[in-house]
Amino acid sequence: MNSIVFLIPIAVGLAAVFLFLFLRAVRDGQFDDLDDPPKRILKDD
Amino acid sequence: MSESTKPSAELAPVSRCPHCGTAVEGAEDTFCCAGCEIADAIIRGAGLERYYAEREDFAPRPEPLAGGWDAVVSEPDEEGLCSIRLSVDGLRCASCVWVTENVLQRTEGVAEATVSYATGRASLRWDPHLIGIADIAGQIAALGYRPRLLGEESSPDRELLLRLGVAAFAASNVMMFSAALYAGWFGGMEPRFVALFQWVSLVLATPVALWSAAPFFSGAWAGLRNGVLHMDVPIAIAVAVLYVQGVAGTLMATDTYLDSLTMLVALLLAGRVLESRGRRRAVEAAMTLAATVPSTARRTVGDSVETVAASELRPGDHVTVGSGEELPADGSVVDGEALVGLALLTGEAEPTAVSRGHRVWAGTVLIDGALIVEVTEAAEDTVIHRMAEELRHAADRGTRPSSTDRIAPWFTGATLMAAGMTLAWWWQAAGPGAALTTMVAVLVVACPCALALSRPLAAAAGLGAAARRGLLFRSADSLLELAHVDSVVLDKTGTVTAGALDVIGAGDEDLRVAAGLERYSRHPVALALVREAVSRSIPLPAATEVREQVGVGVSGIVDGARWSIRSGGSGVVVLEGEGGYHALIRLGDAVRPDSSEAVERLKRLGLQVTLLTGDHEEAARRIGTGAGIDEVLAGVPPDRKAAWIRDRRARGGRVLFAGDGLNDGPALAAADVGVAMGTGAASSILMADGVLAAGSLLPLSTGVVVSRAAERAIFWNQLRSVMYNVTAVTAAAAGFVNPLVAAVLMPLSSALVVWGASRVEATVRRREAA
Repeated sequence: MNSIVFLIPIAVGLAAVFLFLFLRAVRDGQFDDLDDPPKRILKDD
Repeated sequence: MSESTKPSAELAPVSRCPHCGTAVEGAEDTFCCAGCEIADAIIRGAGLERYYAEREDFAPRPEPLAGGWDAVVSEPDEEGLCSIRLSVDGLRCASCVWVTENVLQRTEGVAEATVSYATGRASLRWDPHLIGIADIAGQIAALGYRPRLLGEESSPDRELLLRLGVAAFAASNVMMFSAALYAGWFGGMEPRFVALFQWVSLVLATPVALWSAAPFFSGAWAGLRNGVLHMDVPIAIAVAVLYVQGVAGTLMATDTYLDSLTMLVALLLAGRVLESRGRRRAVEAAMTLAATVPSTARRTVGDSVETVAASELRPGDHVTVGSGEELPADGSVVDGEALVGLALLTGEAEPTAVSRGHRVWAGTVLIDGALIVEVTEAAEDTVIHRMAEELRHAADRGTRPSSTDRIAPWFTGATLMAAGMTLAWWWQAAGPGAALTTMVAVLVVACPCALALSRPLAAAAGLGAAARRGLLFRSADSLLELAHVDSVVLDKTGTVTAGALDVIGAGDEDLRVAAGLERYSRHPVALALVREAVSRSIPLPAATEVREQVGVGVSGIVDGARWSIRSGGSGVVVLEGEGGYHALIRLGDAVRPDSSEAVERLKRLGLQVTLLTGDHEEAARRIGTGAGIDEVLAGVPPDRKAAWIRDRRARGGRVLFAGDGLNDGPALAAADVGVAMGTGAASSILMADGVLAAGSLLPLSTGVVVSRAAERAIFWNQLRSVMYNVTAVTAAAAGFVNPLVAAVLMPLSSALVVWGASRVEATVRRREAA
């Protein structure tokens, strides 16, 4: 049962990585405009 | 008139202008005007001819670039590039956006150009040494789209999203450990694992309680300091109790509610994010509508004329103003004769004739003629600027307490009382330990999470539903206020009527000849004639030997006969054939085609509709009858409009006012709900509660339907959540609630509220179908 002592930090750490990526995406402004980019991708130039 | 001068439409073949689709007499691929030919050349020259194959709609007819873009100042950044944001009108499809963006990107000197598909806004960066903003704006106008200047962008609220991210991360992880702990209740679990899981949960919940939930604490504190007990107070109490109990429980190895804490904060923040996105979208949309065309003036210095920004004019300067231009300052006429439209100031559509010695005002439009004006007041001292400034103060009416905020004090009081009674009862019955545990359970389930979400979620759904139907509201408060309105007061010019110079009386044949003659002209009358011909689908005939004499008229040959058009006084142009007088064409302000239906729908909703106008009795009656309005009040000057509305409100009425001009400002501010026309003056848009985006009154009735649906949804949501709280608090006081029960009940009650809010759109659709 000692495996759980290692598994908890791994699980939380993994989730923390995703949290970090989300926070970075928000700071980069990826969530500022949710309407335009999905339309833009349909027009190649 | 003889038979030979009668125009004939049967012979010539009809084709469509390849750029704007206007019907034209002539061979295939005949352009309707020089503007379209230039637009086509620009697009093909840039190698973007794909546009013509892919577009879903024709482009608008290019009209000359209005305003003085030369005067727009933009400071270069460290890279030496200037940047600006524009709103671009007339973008009808994705291909229009694509072609505009690509033409700009291929324009020399433009470093960056992006046009938003969703909002039609352009962000530009350019090198001021290679190109000027006037040329860039001219390029947009040459394609048929109309650029306008946008103000500063409101920055998106990223912080709320960050807080939500942290809370959601913690909630999902804490839930995992809590599930294990609850399983341990039934299957048994070693105490050291219980302690481990609890400590990990506490570590994860700490940033949520201290950082993510901070807006609720600061909100509650700000409210208390101002002596207001609003919804943030019970939320802050619940979060604080939950966290303190969590710390104590972890230290003493008893059950904690940390999963409920994180979930609750995440849910509440999600509600806030939705609310603030909805509000920001509405404010941005209103700002787009309020974007302005920069104004400049042509100042005469000695013998030469220079172009300056209107704000640089000083009293004593002489400025030249031509047809279709806006007056840059207040002043008196030194020379020239002209028709001036005073609609912006007085609300009267009929143009006024002015000549030497008359006073003229900034913001009014010179419809026909030319003037030299000596400036008496400029920039901040002009009447229009002072009015806008006064109105900005009047419009600031503060925030009204919402129905949820009115419940909050009662709610908090009842919660604290229930907690106190529970503590007292359990203390004498089972001792301090059980008493504290039960009291905490009461405070936890009493958290008004669902109640706090009930209003913002339904209001956000309502704002979205109204916006999709062309009515933009700045705040949820004003949208919800619309449900209680019992009378609708409409302004005439620009609201019930289109407010622009339009053809109101002309035979098809006469119009055909006139539009043919005016096809290449930029005069406001010419544009109105051609617009009307296009809307009646009359193919524009070819005209030759066209001569335009400024201030006099146009003459040319159509169908082999010589025709001329000249001004026939106020609101009338005369069409003359070879034998002299042929016909009159009346121009004026026409009732919007859908106004009568809009009025009919408002009446069906049980609202009283009134027309309130500064215009004289006869014109007001004509418009009122045309639109089906029974109560018509004519000859009411702008300041009296506001007084009239205040009077009706004093007698217990709830008034919705819709108007468009700067002169309607006081009335917009005086009404319970003020709605401006998106086609109206920028200042009226900026201070109204709501804006009609499409220049039609139809969305007004839809707005009332949406508002009523949202109010109903809020009422039921509040009832459901209060019932949940009463039941849960009773159960908790009786000692039936433990962390597992709380963890199931609390999100469930919130889900019920989300479901209630999602029904707003469905209700509105059902009403529309009926």
